[in-house]
Amino acid sequence: MERRSQFYFAGVAAIFGVMLAVGLRTTLSPEGRDTRDIWELRADLTKEQKLEQRLLEELESYEEILRRYRQEYEAGGATELEATVAELREEAGLTEVRGSGLVLTIAPLSSAGYVGPAVATVSPELLQRLVNELNKYGAKEIAIDGERLTNRTAIREVNGATKVGSRSMRLPVEVRAIADDADKLYSGLAVSPIRDDFAVENLELSISKPQPLVVIPPAASRPDVKYMETANGGKEEK
Amino acid sequence: MWLPLFGLLLGFAIGVLAGWEVPDEYSNYLSIAILAAFDTLIGGWRAHLQRTYDETVFITGFFFNIVLAATLTFLGVHLGVDLYLAAVFAFGVRLFQNIAIIRRLWLAEWAKRRQNREKS
Repeated sequence: MERRSQFYFAGVAAIFGVMLAVGLRTTLSPEGRDTRDIWELRADLTKEQKLEQRLLEELESYEEILRRYRQEYEAGGATELEATVAELREEAGLTEVRGSGLVLTIAPLSSAGYVGPAVATVSPELLQRLVNELNKYGAKEIAIDGERLTNRTAIREVNGATKVGSRSMRLPVEVRAIADDADKLYSGLAVSPIRDDFAVENLELSISKPQPLVVIPPAASRPDVKYMETANGGKEEK
Repeated sequence: MWLPLFGLLLGFAIGVLAGWEVPDEYSNYLSIAILAAFDTLIGGWRAHLQRTYDETVFITGFFFNIVLAATLTFLGVHLGVDLYLAAVFAFGVRLFQNIAIIRRLWLAEWAKRRQNREKS
């Protein structure tokens, strides 16, 4: 190709390059348009500020723990670490918890005129709804039929039977809940429509008066940690 | 040989650095125009290898194909028929043919060089 033609070819190739770059930019980065008005922006700003504050507080508490660790380390003890482990075990639901709370019982609706089929179990949806309702009114720890609810407990249906964790539910089911303020939990449940939801499925939810001592057993199985490994003892983590 | 490649890279760099973007509703036109341009470019390269390269044909083809493809897309949008598929098909098929021809020409040249080397 002679020199002049090469220049033309290069020019055309350059135009193609520009088109290609513009095309790629257009298709790869669709620009999201911000359509928030001033109030929404303010609300978002407040939300972010709260988040910032929470993070700062968290950071501060961790720094405090770190400081205490250092002091302990210098003093040669390990009580702080043990305290943290105990705290974490408690958080993970591996310890027994006692406190004031409620005992709820789910049983078949004992109405004299009822002629429908006998109810043998309670549906997982209903149980989840009940758990949500309990959490809404400030329940701290919940156990269903002796099975402690943790973050990883599944409430599901397996071949027609409702299971909480690994335990099958058979009526009557006893639900225990501990709350900081058991009275509030009681009055919350008293006004909530959850009992009607149970009645629709021919079940009766009876709620006990707040009790000063409710015992919630520890979770039966240890949480199965898949994606973590024990760090090497010798190396210090950076 | 290196000049066109340099031009391509230069153009690409300018396009990236300039930060131009096409509004979403026109991105179809741009895509089809890119396809047309690519087809013409590969066609020009093939013609160069076959020694039938003609500058006027190449440059007019480049712009004419782009305009034609964009026009077809425009018509298709307004008629409710996906006419741009015609352009995609035509350019796509030609692109494959041209690339196949380029590959064969390269292979032939490579075989010839090897023969020459064996002889000498």
